[in-house]
Amino acid sequence: MKALLFYPKLALDGVRKNKRMYLPYILTCTGMVMMFYIIMYIGICSVPDSMMGAESVRSMLALGSAVIAVFACIFLFYTNSFLMRRRKKEFGLYNILGMGKRSIARILCFETLIVALISLSMGLILGISFSKLAELGFVNIMNEDVSFDLSVSLPAILRTLEVFGVIFLLLLLNSIRQVRFASAMQLLHGENTGEKPPRANWLLGILGALILGGAYYIAVTIKDPITALAWFFVAVLMVIAGTYLLMISGSVLFCRLLQKKKGYYYKPSHFVSLSSMAFRMKRNGAGLASICILATMVLVMISSTACLYFGEENAVNQRYPRDINITFRFGDLKGLSDQTSKAIKRDIDNMTADAEAEPSNILSYRSVAVSGLLIDGKVELDASKISSVAHGVDVMANVFQFLFVPLSDFNANVGEDISLEKDEAIICVYRHEFEGDTLSFNGGRTFRIKKYEAKKFEHGEGYIISPCMVIAVPDLEYAIYGIADMRDSLGEGMLQYRLMYDFDTSLEAKEEIALCRSINEKIYSSSTHAGEMEINYGAYYSSISSREENRQDFYGMFGTLFYIGIILSIVFTLAAVLIIYYKQLSEGYEDEARFSIMQKVGMTKKDIKKSINSQLLTVFFLPLLLAASHLAFAFPIIRKLLLLFGFESVTLFAATTGISLIVFALFYAAVYKLTAGAYYKIVSDAKEQNA
Amino acid sequence: MAILKVTGLKKTYVPRFGGNRTEALKNVNFSVEKGEFVAIMGESGSGKTTLLNILAALDRPTKGSVLLDGFDLSEIKEAEIAAYRRKNLGFVFQEFNILDTFTIEDNIYLPLVLAGKSHDQMHKALIPIAKELGIEEILKKYPYEVSGGQKQRAAVARAIITNPKLILADEPTGALDSRSADDILRIFSSINKLGHTIIMVTHSVKAASFAGRVLFIKDGEVFHQLYRGEDTNEQFYQKISDTLTLLLSGGEAR
Repeated sequence: MKALLFYPKLALDGVRKNKRMYLPYILTCTGMVMMFYIIMYIGICSVPDSMMGAESVRSMLALGSAVIAVFACIFLFYTNSFLMRRRKKEFGLYNILGMGKRSIARILCFETLIVALISLSMGLILGISFSKLAELGFVNIMNEDVSFDLSVSLPAILRTLEVFGVIFLLLLLNSIRQVRFASAMQLLHGENTGEKPPRANWLLGILGALILGGAYYIAVTIKDPITALAWFFVAVLMVIAGTYLLMISGSVLFCRLLQKKKGYYYKPSHFVSLSSMAFRMKRNGAGLASICILATMVLVMISSTACLYFGEENAVNQRYPRDINITFRFGDLKGLSDQTSKAIKRDIDNMTADAEAEPSNILSYRSVAVSGLLIDGKVELDASKISSVAHGVDVMANVFQFLFVPLSDFNANVGEDISLEKDEAIICVYRHEFEGDTLSFNGGRTFRIKKYEAKKFEHGEGYIISPCMVIAVPDLEYAIYGIADMRDSLGEGMLQYRLMYDFDTSLEAKEEIALCRSINEKIYSSSTHAGEMEINYGAYYSSISSREENRQDFYGMFGTLFYIGIILSIVFTLAAVLIIYYKQLSEGYEDEARFSIMQKVGMTKKDIKKSINSQLLTVFFLPLLLAASHLAFAFPIIRKLLLLFGFESVTLFAATTGISLIVFALFYAAVYKLTAGAYYKIVSDAKEQNA
Repeated sequence: MAILKVTGLKKTYVPRFGGNRTEALKNVNFSVEKGEFVAIMGESGSGKTTLLNILAALDRPTKGSVLLDGFDLSEIKEAEIAAYRRKNLGFVFQEFNILDTFTIEDNIYLPLVLAGKSHDQMHKALIPIAKELGIEEILKKYPYEVSGGQKQRAAVARAIITNPKLILADEPTGALDSRSADDILRIFSSINKLGHTIIMVTHSVKAASFAGRVLFIKDGEVFHQLYRGEDTNEQFYQKISDTLTLLLSGGEAR
């Protein structure tokens, strides 16, 4: 019985005696466990299935949890190596006193078990309570009550146990490996043996710079949202890899270069800080890179989700330009006849009148829509020929949505009275530029472009995120000659014949939604069999939506996103703070002896303070600066992604980005102040202990 | 002219949580002339480390005064002590106290950098010293790449590069093998001949035999002193050894 308890007791003693080292370590483990649980929990429980884009949010969260797991692994290895350096001495002594390596391994097992038990249980408890707390805040962010599950997630717990079980096992194996392959004397002096100063690795540094540069290039040059979406994750991975390489070897390089500059290096405030930074950078580089990545993630997430949340009114208005938005689609040009559109408008006006309202601020026009690749004034509609036309041209960025609009509707829309020849056209271009005198459709007509610089045509098609061109022509039938018969690879016609009828009413939200539903019912009244929809007026499809109804959906979606953004930001910020705090603490203990020596050699307290400040400032604000640079380069690509959600306001996004950066920097500075204080206390206490 | 004058020095330690007061130094009086090489000997607990700490301005005496070049150490403000140490004192420690983050060269520069000297000035000061101490080859190396003896030489170079009024050495050979120890002691002798004043605390008879004068401390007081006179190292060694034996037996008799 006694022998059975011997090793656990020795392990417990080891942890207790090294409290100063173990406490921050356990704290770090606990924090990591907590964060991982929270992210898993959100991914499993907080994203409603009904939410628009629930899948992509989930995959983003999965990426987030993978990132946290990798961070946890890297970071715990870093903290553990620090711990092992201290503990080796003790193990060396045990070894000399006759304890076998096997027994030491056993102690290590129990120690790891103790740390794992404490940090997993505390981390899970904290994670569960914190996630509940966060949910309460969530209800506030959403404009309306969303059914919410306030329960503990078993899968999230299991997943957390799995991941951290593996991490702790790896840590244990690594520790055993270190003890296994070192002699007793090596262990005994493990802490004191002079560490080799790191060599600057040019190759890795250059590689890091190249990868980062590549990622920046992608982010800046991408023109259209669809490509942006595809490349976004690639760019993110490249930025992460580049940051790590750059920080780990690039920072050593940088320090070495500065050390070569004699006038700079041999200054009291730079001398000590620069040399110890150069010495430590290799191990610290990973920590700094992690802080940088976490900071970037926080900034990107919070700025973009805040932009979505605060800009949703705009987005709703753009997507649904009027209170009631109705679109009909027809099989051919017949549906766009004056009679049909008059009949439709009359019927809808009557229905609106039944609801004691009157359409106002009407946006109505007919159009024939088709998409194609526009290069040098020539349009290719056939998808199979596009590759042969586009030589070195970014295809996605030059695919246009073309809307042929009857001149009469165009005139009504812009309030002009223009007349055109048969082969003449007026164009309005959106999200792109077009300079040219003619526009020619391959297999169709060629138009002479008539100059038009007055008010832009309001097309009200909020869903169009690609470049778009409205072509006003006097005769639709003439205009689409040739292309009307074209078929795509599925044998379907390529043109869409649309009638839009959007209008405002003076109705309350509820009545408006009711009106919208009754219009919908009446329009579909003749469709008796499900599946084979038939709509009055010869249309094959209609969409009738009210802005109010959709506003609620938007609030639900963007509220959720904003909430997730906030939670993840808090979690990532916490992770960054933990890393910073641990770095300061561990470095403080390492530097204790150094500063004690320097005081003996004649360094004043003032010198020490100066040197610490110079060191901390660099170490602290390097990641923040790099994160700001990442953010600046991420700005264009994220702006493109926001277009997918129908957000166009650059100013709003710039504002949320700027505010996020400022708030984060302030918070970061506060953390800096705090940890710098802790560091200085440790270092300046050194004198009393050593004198 | 006496460069260092110690009068009526007393140091009492009061334990933080009560208990017995410890009298480390009772009444120490001695003076050191410019250009002297003085060894201070004594058993563990005789108070020699306390004495050295007070001379180094690392600790303050309970009573008595230390005048360095006519200047009372106790009059220096706490904030200026480190700068004072840097300008006037050079240190050599048992455990070298060489910083592993610096090259040997940068370690030697440290006090000069703190004093705000330019790289050219420092380099000019270093060349003759490096030659004298035989460390030219290792200047660009890091501490982990050199031996203990070489580290200690670098420490000596660091101590003398500021041209201090007094060099304080605390068991400088304590962590070295006998060959390296001899090297260091010969270096002390030769820098002493160049005009540096040295006070060395040691309990090695061998080390003390390189000095010009040996002070023996016992129970917090200067008990006895020996001058070398015209003796060779071997003769002086014998004298010190005899004195120690005498002191030890005398101590027992008391």
